[in-house]
Amino acid sequence: MSGHHISTDKTLLGVAGALLILTIATVGVHYLHLPNPWSIIVAMIVAIMKGSLVAVFFMNLYWDTKFNSMLLLAAFLFFGLLVGLTLLDTLFRPEVIPSF
Amino acid sequence: MATAEANPKKIQVQRYEPESDPDKHYLNEETGLWTWLTTVDHKKIGLMYLASITFFFFVGGIMALLVRTELWTPAKTFIEANTYNQLFTLHGAIMIFLFLVPSVPAALGNFFLPLQLGAKDVAFPRLNLLSYYIYVAGAVISIVSIVSGGIDTGWTFYTPYSSTTGGAVTIMTFGVFVIGFSSILTGVNFITTIHKMRAPGLTWDKLSLFSWSLYATSIIQILATPVLAITLALVGMERILGIGIFDPAMGGDPVLYQHFFWFYSHPAVYIMIVPGFGIVSEVITTFSKKHIFGYWAIALSSLAIAFIGFLVWGHHMFVSGQASLATMVFSFLTFLVGIPTGIKMFNWTATLYKGSIKLASPLLYIFGFFFLFLVGGLTGIVLGSIALDVHLHDTYYVVAHFHFVMVGGMVMAFLAGLHYWWPKMIGRMYNETMAKIACGIIFIGFNVTFLPQFVMGSQGMPRRYFNYIEQFQSFHQISTIGSYILGFGFVMIFYYLVKSIFTGEKASPNPWGSRALEWQVNSRPPLHNFHHTPVIVNGPYDYHKPMDEFQLGLAENHNAHSDVNGAEVSVSNEEETSAE
Amino acid sequence: MANHSTTSSHSRFQQHHFVDAEQQFDAAKMGMWVFLVTEILMFGGLFAAYIVYRLWYPELFVLASEELNTLWGGVNTLVLIGSSLTVAMAIKSAQLNQKRNIAINLGITLALAAIFMVIKYFEYTHKFHLGIFPGEFYTFEGIDHPKANVFFSLYYLMTGLHGIHVTIGMGLMIWLLVRSTKGHFGEEYYTPIEMTGLYWHLVDIIWIFLFPLFYLID
Repeated sequence: MSGHHISTDKTLLGVAGALLILTIATVGVHYLHLPNPWSIIVAMIVAIMKGSLVAVFFMNLYWDTKFNSMLLLAAFLFFGLLVGLTLLDTLFRPEVIPSF
Repeated sequence: MATAEANPKKIQVQRYEPESDPDKHYLNEETGLWTWLTTVDHKKIGLMYLASITFFFFVGGIMALLVRTELWTPAKTFIEANTYNQLFTLHGAIMIFLFLVPSVPAALGNFFLPLQLGAKDVAFPRLNLLSYYIYVAGAVISIVSIVSGGIDTGWTFYTPYSSTTGGAVTIMTFGVFVIGFSSILTGVNFITTIHKMRAPGLTWDKLSLFSWSLYATSIIQILATPVLAITLALVGMERILGIGIFDPAMGGDPVLYQHFFWFYSHPAVYIMIVPGFGIVSEVITTFSKKHIFGYWAIALSSLAIAFIGFLVWGHHMFVSGQASLATMVFSFLTFLVGIPTGIKMFNWTATLYKGSIKLASPLLYIFGFFFLFLVGGLTGIVLGSIALDVHLHDTYYVVAHFHFVMVGGMVMAFLAGLHYWWPKMIGRMYNETMAKIACGIIFIGFNVTFLPQFVMGSQGMPRRYFNYIEQFQSFHQISTIGSYILGFGFVMIFYYLVKSIFTGEKASPNPWGSRALEWQVNSRPPLHNFHHTPVIVNGPYDYHKPMDEFQLGLAENHNAHSDVNGAEVSVSNEEETSAE
Repeated sequence: MANHSTTSSHSRFQQHHFVDAEQQFDAAKMGMWVFLVTEILMFGGLFAAYIVYRLWYPELFVLASEELNTLWGGVNTLVLIGSSLTVAMAIKSAQLNQKRNIAINLGITLALAAIFMVIKYFEYTHKFHLGIFPGEFYTFEGIDHPKANVFFSLYYLMTGLHGIHVTIGMGLMIWLLVRSTKGHFGEEYYTPIEMTGLYWHLVDIIWIFLFPLFYLID
């Protein structure tokens, strides 16, 4: 029962600072105009880092029961199934959208 | 029952025997219409759900009978083609969204899940009441759509037809959207209840299989239903704002709608059937007086079905124009569903083996389930094979297949559960002879209705057609006669169950001799379920142990709940019986 | 009926069917996490549509994204991060029983959420002015792609659904603010703040992904 962790100001402000820096970084990288696959990859990696910071420290997952982290991961796993199996169709059609 | 002196967490328990004819129970501790409408008692909410789904079952059933009557002759019999389209659409939508999805989880599950966990209520009682009112609101919105034009899209609301046709599709999709939230909140509630509200000693390996199946169902509900909600919202947007996500004229893709829709609606099939599996496990073990065979196999196969159910939705789309790669993968994955389902069937059969079987009406319904669900499941494998599906897609073969699963499987299991738990819910026994006769009538009527549909489907009779060629007329007529027999059977059940409320003889607390926890309280349970905090030392299927070991509770109100799971339980004053 | 709620240490917000406040808090928190799972999958449907269309029309997304203002999108990201911080501070204040700080932090959160919505309002009206409407009402001619409306349909749907969630969050913040001024919250009981906080952080996380997916494409 570790649902009552009290975060210190230092942690909270530190995380917020890191989020601020990452936001500025991702906008900065945007203006570098990286070659095609890399810009989205970098943007997504930064977004995942930011999302994880919020989930782990603001949402207390670090101190919380592991089951709640598992729930969050399960949600992304099933989102992945939805996307993955749909792409199995949409990426492999002979014609993107059959003309009507 | 070892008494461990050294154990610091020793707790005192004593035996509490249920009263056979309690003066006070959940129906008379609070009375009046207002207390019913504002109740947070899971049992009353369960009964309100039961009344609502029964009502919608008969509404949907009457529509089915009208459809079948119309099909008596190849051309028009007595209703217009457009009315016919609306009738089969509404039959499907009402039966699925207003009856099948909430039937076992929301009605029987609400009533019995907390009792099986030894809890006073579900984790969020007010949310539970809210789910019920959301369900009612959604149902009212659906009725509004019926009177303001109706819908003729089929229950699947396929685009682009659903985004262009007339009628009240927007209102209907909004109604289903709202009902979806009822389902989501019930799922959230049940998962939390199973995790956090278990009685002391009720570890995961002592959880009843009905609770396990509700757990698996709730997982599907929370993961799949939100996708349906957003999909139907998109259809609504399509109609209101012309958003174009599913409209090929604007660069959208109608097949994407089918992906999203079936991402919910295929797992939804398991939302309907998995709680039925839970009932089968409970009834089988009670009436063969034997420990369930393969407890973990049955429990985990429910979870396996819940998971695999998310991987197979594309088998509804073999002829939709999806990529052949996806078709092959989905076909392969579809066959995997047969494995956990087969595990369950074999374990149930093995439970019956050498049991001391009492063929009471709940078990009779389960035997009906076995035969019908087996046929439904095996024809599903047929439809999962690509080459056969291209021939059988959208024929009566499909209609017969899912009615064998949904009615032959799910409704039979629901009826078994209803007959099994009726004495506990109402405190009265129904007429056993009539129950057995009704079970026979339903079994016969069902087969007469749907077996001919397999034949005409494989000969090419398409589903949802108003007219048909004369060669199919005899099949259609047999099927229509069967549907009347089936309808008579359901009316008969309704008659004797309602009659038993008023004139049935009083039920004892445990008429079947079950070891499960819900049978260790009074028949008509008290308002807060248990007058004591139950302590669980044995599993719910330990028929080899004496009954008094299943009636234990904390001797004094110890301030401890599931965190005493690890503690050794010692029974003091075993001779002393309930001192309530 | 004697032995239902006999424990002496009951706070006035504890419901009868829980053994103690700890069980109630744990149940509420777990229920909230399960609910967040459903939220993720609800947005997941739209994200899946986004991925499908982006892989079909990559050039469209590059062209159309230039109509979105990266600066204001970035400012909104920072606004939401700030509001996440203040919600976390509100929870911390409750845990430390600093009752005045709860209200102050909730107030700042509410204000930041309002700023977010105001910026969103100006972004939307600017586009409406250009004729960038969703779906069939799309009349803008500045993007040289026949399916440009698909991008903006997705944009309006995803940011719109997110905006609805922000609005709901603002309603919750007002409710919490009213209750905190009545002194309901303190170290004994702060479940509603913690649950709303979890919801608010999720809304923030979704924006963290929406921002690069719409504003930072090249």
